[in-house]
Order: sequence, then structure tokens, then C-alpha cells
Amino acid sequence: MSHPSMTDTSGLDLTAIRKQFPILSEKVHDRPLVFLDSAASAQKPDAVINAMVHTMHHQYANIHRGLYWLSERATEAYEAVRDQVAGFLNAPSREEIVFTRNSTEAINLVAYSFGSLLTPGQAVVISEMEHHANLVPWQMLRDRMGIELRIAPITDAGDLDMEAFGQLLSDGKVALVAITHMSNVLGTITPARQIADMAHATGALVLFDGSQAVVHHRTDVQALGADFYTFTGHKLYGPTGIGVLWARRALLEDMPPFMGGGDMISTVTFEKSTWANVPHKFEAGTPAIVEAIGLGAAIEWVEKFGFDAIAAHEQALTTYALERLATVPGLNVVGHPKKRGGVISFTMADVHPHDIATLLDRNGIAVRAGHHCAEPLMRRLGLTATARASFGIYTLQEEIDVLADTLVRIREFFV
Amino acid sequence: MTQTGLDSDALYDRVIVERARAPQYAGKLEAPSVQGEGKNPMCGDKTRVDIALDATHIQSVRHTTRGCAICAAAADLMAQQVSGLDVAQAVSLSGRFSAMLVGEGSSTATADTSLGPLEVFQPLRSHKARIRCAELPWIALKEALSHADV
Repeated sequence: MSHPSMTDTSGLDLTAIRKQFPILSEKVHDRPLVFLDSAASAQKPDAVINAMVHTMHHQYANIHRGLYWLSERATEAYEAVRDQVAGFLNAPSREEIVFTRNSTEAINLVAYSFGSLLTPGQAVVISEMEHHANLVPWQMLRDRMGIELRIAPITDAGDLDMEAFGQLLSDGKVALVAITHMSNVLGTITPARQIADMAHATGALVLFDGSQAVVHHRTDVQALGADFYTFTGHKLYGPTGIGVLWARRALLEDMPPFMGGGDMISTVTFEKSTWANVPHKFEAGTPAIVEAIGLGAAIEWVEKFGFDAIAAHEQALTTYALERLATVPGLNVVGHPKKRGGVISFTMADVHPHDIATLLDRNGIAVRAGHHCAEPLMRRLGLTATARASFGIYTLQEEIDVLADTLVRIREFFV
Repeated sequence: MTQTGLDSDALYDRVIVERARAPQYAGKLEAPSVQGEGKNPMCGDKTRVDIALDATHIQSVRHTTRGCAICAAAADLMAQQVSGLDVAQAVSLSGRFSAMLVGEGSSTATADTSLGPLEVFQPLRSHKARIRCAELPWIALKEALSHADV
């Protein structure tokens, strides 16, 4: 079989990169692991694993309150990550970085705290392609505050329908637009700057769910015109349990706290408490200290390669994968957005996505199958489930060949 | 990293693949005595079961299944195996089928031989995430039989 050629201009040394991920040399069912589920959660390089272990071996203590050497070192390390994240997002200030458990918690924080400032008659706009994480919190807000939740449609190709989106904004009642920066199902990279400009022109603010997007290209919250931006560590080669909310400082200062407890207060009496300054007002309780340090290591590791190289590598892989998958009989790629990242959902005639995933797994290949936490999107597409392959910095062209060749054999098995 | 040959695993017995591709009990009954439905919210799979009962026994079963090969084959083989049983026998068979899937009872190879063709699903024991695929039609069956007035 002659395969299309792949033009990877990234200059990344993939052999050296893969050696830094211990799990990639594992075997699954006696086959070399082909891990194509990075969009669900990425694998972790030694740099991240070692940073976390080193912290627990040598400089672990609770932060912000200990008056001893170890606590001061842990506090410094934790707070240094806030600076790193501010740089990573090009945020104007470190005080605008709030650590959360994940992107879901970051969105819930905004839905609760910013949401409590909304009044009936105001509206929030989301899109048809949202992950449940950027959908359910807004439904809960709607039911709690009596606001309206509007759904911006997508085109059949999987792009946001900009004309319909504009119409949803036109009555000036929209307080917030909350939209993914990159779809976890379709791979669509949304036109964030245009969305922000349209929202701002009608007095609405914008939140971007960057869970997928931050992994694949450089993120500049100022250039995007964002008001809120969220992401999670574990998709960025960092640990689970650590996520980020960035918001403009004035917004954070106006918003009431999300959770109450230690570390988020200024003074406490039985009658009344006052709140700490931002961002600490939003970080109640002992945070995920080791995980935050792991996130810092992940960001440092990713930035060492640079997003120009990462984006070039993943674009080349995605283009190659779309070409290869098009040669698999009966395979249908779901969505053909104008601009896409390294996430490809597909169905195969006569073979259910769960059977695809189970048989791929038997052959060492890990993909996701199901509704990808986006049930309304599945309904919009007229599907109940898809299989999804997603790529990371360590993904090889040869792995896409193994995927495509195995899919051909799976179809032959069932038909 | 060339990999040759498809490891189809014992899970995908030819019987399962063939029943999923060409079911023998698919469709609806014109005048079902009872009906039941099973849905799996995790994957969107759905089975509807139509049952015709006489005074005591299941006369005939048809199913409408939208699901994976495991679910579709399980529905078809279930329809085959419960036809002719009385309600108590069908419920008992359902219990023994579930017990086989979770590996209850003997851990040795001596399976419940009374399960007959349903034994093809035994490899699901090592695919815990897929057990619910095979159980879905039986959930629909039990719901249908709960409406039976026998």
C-alpha cells in the first residue's frame, strides 16, 4: 500500500521525546502501546513525574501559613507556578491566575460566582458543541438565577454558525458567552477573537474553555480578547487535580467567593468574615500543592519545545491522519471544520464505536469511544457515539498507520 | 511497529458477529402482550423487546436493538433462548446469565452448561466495561415481564 507522505516541519526529535514518557514503552495485550487518547488525558513525561516526587521527597509542607523553612520553600514553589501560568497565557498579572481542581471546577466557579451577579432577563450563550463541563454549570445557573440559556448552533461541517451566533447576541441581553476554544469531539478551533469582538460589541463578556486548545497552540488571553479562560493540567502532560481559571482582575474582584474555608479569608469572626485578595479569595482550603508544582514542570517542559514546533507536528499528523483514514472502507470522519486541532472523531459503517474501541484495544491501540461528554452534540450530529483518535507531542506517523491498518481489518472482521 | 493480523479476542466469537450482522429475532410483534426497553446512557445503546405470552409461557419474542455487536447478539440469542419458557424460567435464566458474566460461582472452567449458546458471552468476564452491553436486552426483558399478568 502506498501511503501519503507526511510533511513534519516541526524539527522535534520524537524518539528523544518518547523516551521521556516511561509509559510509552509499555505493552498492552503483548502489543506495543499506541496511545491515541491524549485529548482525554495526556501521558506524563519524567520531568513532571520527577518534579512531583522531588517535591514530596525534599520540600513538601503546607503552604501560605507555615513559619518554617519547608513551608516557605513549598509556598515559593507553588506561587512560582502562578507566575509561570500567567506567562503561559500572557495574562497581564499573576493575581489573575486562580488554581482549581480542573477546567470543570474553573467553569463552575465562574457560573457560581460571576453567575450570582446576574439577574433574570439576562442570558448566557453556549454552543452546540460544548463538553458537558461547559453546559451543565450554565443549566444549573439558569435554574438557580432564572436567567436564559441560549444555544448557538453549529454548521454541518462543525463550525460555529457565526450568523446565528450574532443573532443570539442582538437583543443586548447576553451577559456572557461561554464557548470552547477547541472542540473535544470535532477538533474545531473556534474563531475566538471574532467571538470576543462580537460579544463585546453587544456588552457581553466571553469565557473560553481552553481544555483542548492550550495543548496544541500558543494561548494569549489578551490577543484573544478573553474575559475568562480555563484549562486543565492533565491534558497538558501535567497531573490530574490541578486546573486554572484566568479572569480579568476587575471581574475577580467583583465576584463573590465560590467556596468558603481556610486561606480565602482576611479576617473571621462569628459574626462576619472578610475575604482575602484575589486570587486567594477563590482558593479555599489546602490546594493541590504537589499537582500545581507538577503543572509548572509540564508548562516548562512544553515551552522548551515551543508551540511553533508542537503545532507544526500536530498539524502534520492531523493532515496525515485525515488522508489515511479516508482510505479505510466505510469510515466517516465526523466534522470538517475550517480550522482543526489533533482530534478526529469517526464512525464506521456496520461497526459500532464500542466494538471498534474494544478491538483496537486488543491490538494495543487506545482510543476513546462514546459520546465524549457531549450528548447534545451527538444528538445534533444524529449519532449516539463515535470513536475518537487524538494526538499529542509524542504521537508518531507510524502509529496512525497502525490505527488505519487495524481499522481496515476490524471492518473486514465484521462485514 | 508494523503489526500483522487482527487479534479479535475470544470475546468476538463468530456466533456473536453473525447474530449481530444477521439477527434472527429482530423486529416487532404485531400484538405484543408486554413490552420493555433498556437504555445505556453511557453509549446510547437501546433495545426494545416485544413479547407475546399465552396463559403461562413466552410464545414469541422480537427485539429492536440499536447498539454494538455484543448488545445486538445478546438480544438475538436472548430472544431465541427465552422463547417457550415460562416467566419464572426466563427470570431465572436472566439471573444465571448475569452470574456467568460477573464470574459468580465456580471460577473454574465448568460453566453453567444450561446456558447453552449464551455461553459465548463468558469472555466478557475480562471486559468489565462491556458487561452492560450484554445485559441491556435482559434489562428490557425483565421490564417487559414485570408487566406480565401470569
